[in-house]
Amino acid sequence: MRKSAIIGLITIAICIGFLVSLNAETDTYSNFNEASSSNKEEHVIGHWEKTKGTHYDAIKDPNHFAFYMKDEKGDVKKVVLNGTKPQDFERSEKLVVIGKMENETFRASKILMKCPSKYNDEMVEVSQDGQVKQYKKS
Amino acid sequence: MDIQFIGENLLPGKIGQFFIVLSFAASLLSTIAYFFAVKNKDEQDKSWTKLGRISFLVNLVSIIGIGSTLFYLILNHYNEYNYVYAHSSKELPVYYIVSAFWEGQEGSFWLWAFWQSILGTILIWKGKTWENGVMTVIAFSQVFLTSMLLGVEIFGQRIGSSPFILLRDAVDLKSMAPVVFADPENFKNYLKFIVDGKGLNPLLQNYWMVIHPPTLFLGFASMVVPFAYGITALWTRRYKDWVKPVLPWTLFAVMILGTGIIMGSFWAYEALNFGGFWAWDPVENASIIPWLTLIAGVHVLIAYKNTGHAFFTAMALMLMSFILVLYASFLTRSGILGDTSVHSFTDLGMFGHLIAYILAFVIISVYFIATRWNELPITHKDEETYSREFWMFIGALVVTVACLQVIVTTSYPVFNKIFGTSKLISNPIEYYNKWQSGFAFLVTLISGFSQYLKYKRTDPRRFYSSLISSIVFSLVLTALFVYFTKVYTNLMFILLTFSCLFAVLSNARLLTGIFSSKGSKLAGSAIAHIGFAILLLGALVAAATSKVVSINATNQIDVRDFEKNQKPGENIMLFKNEPKKMGKYTVTYISDTTIAPNTIYTLNFKVIDAAGKVKEEFEVNPNVQQNEKMGLISSPDTKHYLTSDIYTHMTSVKANEEEHGDHEGHAEEENFKAPRIVTLAVGDTIHTSSGVLTVNPINRNPVVKHLKLAPSDLAIGLPLVVDVSGKIYKAEPLFLVKGNNTFDFARNIEELGLRLRFTKVLPDQNKFEVQVYEKPQQAKDWVVFKSIEFPLINLYWVGTIIMVVGFLISIFRRKKELKTS
Repeated sequence: MRKSAIIGLITIAICIGFLVSLNAETDTYSNFNEASSSNKEEHVIGHWEKTKGTHYDAIKDPNHFAFYMKDEKGDVKKVVLNGTKPQDFERSEKLVVIGKMENETFRASKILMKCPSKYNDEMVEVSQDGQVKQYKKS
Repeated sequence: MDIQFIGENLLPGKIGQFFIVLSFAASLLSTIAYFFAVKNKDEQDKSWTKLGRISFLVNLVSIIGIGSTLFYLILNHYNEYNYVYAHSSKELPVYYIVSAFWEGQEGSFWLWAFWQSILGTILIWKGKTWENGVMTVIAFSQVFLTSMLLGVEIFGQRIGSSPFILLRDAVDLKSMAPVVFADPENFKNYLKFIVDGKGLNPLLQNYWMVIHPPTLFLGFASMVVPFAYGITALWTRRYKDWVKPVLPWTLFAVMILGTGIIMGSFWAYEALNFGGFWAWDPVENASIIPWLTLIAGVHVLIAYKNTGHAFFTAMALMLMSFILVLYASFLTRSGILGDTSVHSFTDLGMFGHLIAYILAFVIISVYFIATRWNELPITHKDEETYSREFWMFIGALVVTVACLQVIVTTSYPVFNKIFGTSKLISNPIEYYNKWQSGFAFLVTLISGFSQYLKYKRTDPRRFYSSLISSIVFSLVLTALFVYFTKVYTNLMFILLTFSCLFAVLSNARLLTGIFSSKGSKLAGSAIAHIGFAILLLGALVAAATSKVVSINATNQIDVRDFEKNQKPGENIMLFKNEPKKMGKYTVTYISDTTIAPNTIYTLNFKVIDAAGKVKEEFEVNPNVQQNEKMGLISSPDTKHYLTSDIYTHMTSVKANEEEHGDHEGHAEEENFKAPRIVTLAVGDTIHTSSGVLTVNPINRNPVVKHLKLAPSDLAIGLPLVVDVSGKIYKAEPLFLVKGNNTFDFARNIEELGLRLRFTKVLPDQNKFEVQVYEKPQQAKDWVVFKSIEFPLINLYWVGTIIMVVGFLISIFRRKKELKTS
């Protein structure tokens, strides 16, 4: 067999190996219900339940941030992150929390937030005295 | 009748828009003219070339015109223009106005078009026999870039996005402030209400953002040159003499793009707080993808130049690199990455436009390769295993496969869009690291041992005998390095350390012959390889052994809802002037200064040895901006040592609140906790929450303003000193006997939240009664921060510089070759 053919085969093998591993590394978004019966870290997608606010008291513990999130099925669960309150949390449009469910509380090791992009236009209200106020897009 | 708006400056925008249309038309004309210049067989007739040149120069002038107009608008804060309103504000200093200029899509497209027209102009001047073909391609690419700025509607389809669109056209003003603008008088005069622009994203307010984008876009723009040479070589059938002129340009593109990418990583390290210099963010990936294929292309091209083999691979890699530049900008600019990347642009309606750009250049490449296929100098001979070109080829292959891994993984959102799935990669960073460290191992290994090989054929015995000493030496060095940097936790790290050190040694060996004519030829590549290997080593050590140092040594806080089974948190809270121990450091939050809009904090780090002596001390000044729109924006500060960096950023700070002003009806003590009443003698010490308080000998003649003392009166001052880990604060409360009454005058140490009263003298015991008031903790200033140690990160920067120097030497060498031939 020619050397170039061997090299070609090895290359193809590596590429297949990597595609297979990629498939193994992928996951789909889950919800609180599924997360409670899973024993690995899950990605739960949802929205911050604004009415219940957030809880972060750096004086008590700088590594404890808690809030309530409503997942796509409509379940509302408490989420606790071992860290500070992420920048921009209030502005998030969508959240992905990564972690495990433990006794009705979701222990997040990481929070991803989808915020209106900083390159995006944002509605602001300019009031008469020149004050600029944020204006919520409906 | 249209509304007559008041106070708008419409002329500059019209001039700018005129330049955009002109640059588009001129580049189109230039493309056509150069196209016919290539077709024209009459050597004497230069008329098409001349027309092409003139129109390209018109394009250059109008590009500069666009830039100047836009800059003028931003500098003068003409907020009637959407771009100015959206990206700038009056508080920005001029140098950040420059970065506001290219914050938006349109500005960065302009930057790209600008560099491309500069490079085109250089090629008109220096291109010689290649000019016509190369310029056809570059002018064609310019047509696409300038069309991205057009912002005109054709057949109901908006083409591009102009930076000169007016605010009232871009944004629905009436829905912005429905109450105000309901009044037509107010609406006409809307500019009176737009007092300032929205300002530049604070993360971009960093000096790297002034120079990183121009460098990166020069890199992107220069990728078109090897592509254009490739197409011209195929088009005009100059397969062999293509190599020499294209080599310096390819090296240039690789060097500039590489520098731009690493500047970006420096910006991430200095200004962002994701805690590192590389995060496999899709935007980072998009920039590295074409760089990898072009690096592979350079190597195969050099192999082809020396042996005549692998023509097709070299050509394919060159063409592919530019197409990948286009694909990368599609990824970042079409909005397709919206869910996965924090810093991709949103869709400005360029989705189809960008795809058209890619398709046009793919079709050109495929067309020329297909029509010339039978003539291409393709050899069907197997390379010798013991030859340099064989391993250059393998190295290039590894780099290409590595690139493929990045492309496929980054393109996941694209696949999701095509197949309607919603998959995600659970742990992308680990996934990239795992694969890329393997590829990096192979690449550095090959770049090491191939230095012992000659082109065509090497005697295996000599090869192995010269190799053996380097291997043994690298093994020893690896053992030492791994031991001292503690990267032995992972087999891959050890292997990679070995391969990097081996590459450094093998290439360094070449440099010993630098003064011979043969040795000096290889100096550039050897230095670039050394730089690359050092860079990788730095990245490896910094990433593998970086550790969070802000872990509280006494992390025992019992709070409800916070179970102990969690790993200790990575954030530490500090009250002002209350030192806290954190690993080997004792950290104190000393002060903060607000220079609007930023607040700069000073944290003092100390290493105190067992004997209580300060072995090491430094201060860091991370800053925080409490941005109305974006919340808390924190920029790190880093203490640089030769062998490691301590990187610190604030993760939470006490919110700014209104100062509680003094007014009637408030007791001075109301902000304090109940006092501690202590009896002290001179020299006694007590502990307060902020530091150690010591009593100094009393002062019998205190000077007190506005206080007249009668001869019978008695006033004593009690000088008290508070030592906050080495920093001294003084206060002297006063005790006064006036007539039959006693009074005391309290003194406050504002910074420490301390109030001290001297309330009694106990002469029989030679002691004094002191009342110590402390503020409750809630009322004190506090910060929460995170510190990370990055060992040996300097290798990363040093490697970069060495690599760039290597590229520069190579460019000069290849240019010299061009002249001598």
